[in-house]
Amino acid sequence: MRNMAIRHKLILIIMLTCIFALLLAGTAFIVWQWTSLRRHMVRDLSTSTKIIADNCKAALTFEDTKDAEEALQSLHVQPSIVYAGIHDSSDEDFAHYYRYDVDKSIHPSEFQEEGYIFGDGYLTVFERIILDGEVIGTVCIRSDLQPMYVMLRHNIETVIVVLSLASLLAYFVSSRVQRVISGPILKLAESATRIGKGELSYRVKIQSKDELGHLAQSFNDMTAKLEESHRHLEEKVQERTSELTSANEKLEAEIAERKRAEERLKQAAEEWATTFNSITDLVSIHDKDFKLVRANEAFADTFKMKPEELIGKTCYEIVHGTKEPPAECPHKQTLDTKEPHRAEFFDARLGVYLEVSVSPIFDEKGEVIGSVHIAKDITKRKQAEERQAKLLEEVESINQELKDFAYVISHDLKAPLRGIGILSEWLSTESADKLDEEGREQMNLLLSRVGRMSNLIDGVLQYSRVGRVKEEVVRVNLNELIKEVVIDMVAPPENIEITVENELPVIECEETRIIQVFENLLSNAVKFMDKPQGQVKIGCVEEDGFWKFSVSDNGPGIEEKHFERIFQMFQTLSSRDEFESTGVGLTVVKKIVKLYGGKIWVESKPGEGSTFFFTLSKQEMGVKDAKLEANIAR
Amino acid sequence: MKAKTYILILSALALFVMPIAAQGGVNSAQSREYQIKAAFLYNFIKFVDWPKEKMPDNDDPIIIGIIGKSPFGKAFEPLKAKKIKGRSVVVKRFKGFEELKKSSEKDKTELGRKIEALRKCHLLFICSSEKKNLSEIINSVKNHSVLTVGDTKGFLESGGVVNFIMEEKKIRFEINLTAARQAKLKIRSRLLRLAKRVVDEKSSGEAEK
Repeated sequence: MRNMAIRHKLILIIMLTCIFALLLAGTAFIVWQWTSLRRHMVRDLSTSTKIIADNCKAALTFEDTKDAEEALQSLHVQPSIVYAGIHDSSDEDFAHYYRYDVDKSIHPSEFQEEGYIFGDGYLTVFERIILDGEVIGTVCIRSDLQPMYVMLRHNIETVIVVLSLASLLAYFVSSRVQRVISGPILKLAESATRIGKGELSYRVKIQSKDELGHLAQSFNDMTAKLEESHRHLEEKVQERTSELTSANEKLEAEIAERKRAEERLKQAAEEWATTFNSITDLVSIHDKDFKLVRANEAFADTFKMKPEELIGKTCYEIVHGTKEPPAECPHKQTLDTKEPHRAEFFDARLGVYLEVSVSPIFDEKGEVIGSVHIAKDITKRKQAEERQAKLLEEVESINQELKDFAYVISHDLKAPLRGIGILSEWLSTESADKLDEEGREQMNLLLSRVGRMSNLIDGVLQYSRVGRVKEEVVRVNLNELIKEVVIDMVAPPENIEITVENELPVIECEETRIIQVFENLLSNAVKFMDKPQGQVKIGCVEEDGFWKFSVSDNGPGIEEKHFERIFQMFQTLSSRDEFESTGVGLTVVKKIVKLYGGKIWVESKPGEGSTFFFTLSKQEMGVKDAKLEANIAR
Repeated sequence: MKAKTYILILSALALFVMPIAAQGGVNSAQSREYQIKAAFLYNFIKFVDWPKEKMPDNDDPIIIGIIGKSPFGKAFEPLKAKKIKGRSVVVKRFKGFEELKKSSEKDKTELGRKIEALRKCHLLFICSSEKKNLSEIINSVKNHSVLTVGDTKGFLESGGVVNFIMEEKKIRFEINLTAARQAKLKIRSRLLRLAKRVVDEKSSGEAEK
């Protein structure tokens, strides 16, 4: 039905409508006829019955059966009546009439008082015979329904014939008439097909002014628009295609670039992995929950596990064998502070010292999501350090002992020496006349040796005091200090000139120490001067965060091989008798300079003179601008 | 009220009639015949129309008069309660005409009263005992719309309206239509159709079936 041609649908619809209408009409007609026939039959038969009842009154009253039968006989003119009978008031058969001789049509028991019954192919009508308000009997007439049925059948046949003829006619008419509607629709459908195949310039040719005409017009308008938009679309497609092509090319280039980048990335990853695993230190990456994300082979080997077994386990579980991180866990600190942390600890299980550096890993928002651990086996270093510390301690104690010893010795030696000195002096003055020339000479020698001995002990004392005795640190203007040192302590002879070449800085230090340095250096320069016109110059330059001081002279100079020796204790270049010297002075200077983080060295050419250099750390000395400070201090 | 009084009158009459009825009802065949005839009398009333002056529109009873030696016995007993045309029926018995005349010899007005009573009847059955006085009785009621019924040969010829006859052992009747017209009685065609003989001077004079 759904896929039928519209032509057939129309015919079918018209036909069905006609047939349904005719069927309904025919059925209604037959039903109406059936009921009206029955009604008429009942009416006619009732009339006959009433007439008979009326006619038989007297006969029944006067018991004249013959007369009654004559009256009934009159019914033979109606061929459908098969039986008529009269019963008296006591239901006795009074008179009857049969069309056929067989007495089978009715029994008295079936008698009713009044009314009619349809049954067994008969219509039976009953009527009371009433005379003067008194029922004196009953009339019953029975009519055969066969004629009615025959008539009805005939009517049905007629209706069927009419129906068939009408259907046939409807078919012919509808197959002609449907063209009025289906024609334009088929035309429209054909047009739609042609347009659907791409013939966009095709137009429907329907001229009618009805809905189909409007439809065709709309269809044509739509097709025109379609054609227009199709053209437009093609242009757009062209445009888009070219855009797409260029985009595609770009994309391809991008893909190639990306591939290269990926390869680079892959290579980098491989390089990284190789590096990662090649590192002999224990490298591992942890997440926020202390769980291992990655570990290198060194890490795995150390804990005798495979790298993949480690993943997901917590670091404290693996490293410390505990269920919670240790109190000073660097990872925890890193998580808390977002800064790298470092910790050292001894792993009892491995028997090694580990130094762990933890660096945080941040996400895009700057939150710490984990950290990188690098654990270094520092057992050897640790052992060395321990050994060193022990040695240092030993040295320290020895040193202390030595210092104490030196002090004690010098101090204790001084007393008997003074006694010897006093005694010797007393002997030389009191007993001078008792001694001969040789004796006096020897006595003077003894006195000078005692003096030398005393100086030596003083020097040793001085040396031992350096670093042992702490003085107050004060601000010292070196320009002022040098003047005082030159005038009060060195007191050079007139042929030696001491000059300060440039402005000296103001420093913070133990004043006595710095005086010792300059006093010793200047004294040496004056003491060993061999030229008639002596020149001693003091200079200072700033160099790499240090003050570099220089004290130069035009004295005898020192051979290069002695550059080291002169700073050693009790070492003198000339004999003791030539220059009164203890051999302690430069040793003390060196010790003081070293104490302030400086160096001391000498440059010299024999016969031309020597220059002593020493440096003082500016940081150590807290040295400020010399000029500015010079005005403040002293 | 009225019906009750009539019933009382009727029962009184019945008591009065009783000995005569007992006398008359000798054999059962005869009583059967008169039972039917009594019923026929009632039925005749149904098929005959009286003029208004004789039967005005009121509840007056229909009077059946029986004159002469009554053969009916108790034949009216079962019919007593019946109503015809919405009226009750009263059966009045009269002595033979001879006797009436004799008893009225001393008083002339007595006979007149008796005849007046006869004339008031709607239906008058003249017993065969009055054979000799038929014409006299019929003539005395002729113009007073009395349906005269008899079972005597020559009753119609004497001016009677309906006469019982026996045919094939069945009770049938004949009608004098002329006499009926004279008495201003309308006899319905159904009744006429059943009559074995109709005397009608106006048409062919006499019709017989």
